[in-house]
Amino acid sequence: MRHYEVMVILDSDLEERTVAPSLDQYLNVIRTSGGSVEKTDVWGRRRLAYEIDKKTEGIYAVIDLQAEPAAVAELDRQLRLNESVLRTKVLRPELH
Amino acid sequence: MAKPASLRKPKKKVNPLDKEKITYVDYKDTALLRKFISDRGKIRARRVTGVNAQQQRQIARAIKNAREMALLPYTAQNR
Repeated sequence: MRHYEVMVILDSDLEERTVAPSLDQYLNVIRTSGGSVEKTDVWGRRRLAYEIDKKTEGIYAVIDLQAEPAAVAELDRQLRLNESVLRTKVLRPELH
Repeated sequence: MAKPASLRKPKKKVNPLDKEKITYVDYKDTALLRKFISDRGKIRARRVTGVNAQQQRQIARAIKNAREMALLPYTAQNR
């Protein structure tokens, strides 16, 4: 079990209040594989430093979780399949 | 206006990370990282920032992570 930090940038066309529940759905992958979600922090709308897919704004969310490496890889893969996810980043803070 | 003959002693810099007691440079802390980039978005050299080599590497890595997530610019827009 390892501690991971996952950051997601979502399309700003989404309703901000629907972000947390829909993210939670994705996090079931972690829970069913025996991991635990420690914290989900939705930053809200934020201006991007540069355009991504012609968009100047994104909704940022940061998730802290404990999980097996394979579960996190699967979470990342599923997030990337969603077109309203502009970008993701998985990080192990202890290594940095 | 000739330069003084003796070598000019550079002012001793205070280490900005030690001063703030930061041990982990977080890529999400853009306010901190902005102190280490120029107005064109370039990473400032160690001789300018006054941090030690290990810290400079941590800062550089954090800035590059932040750039990937569009928290910091790769380049400044104008010009």
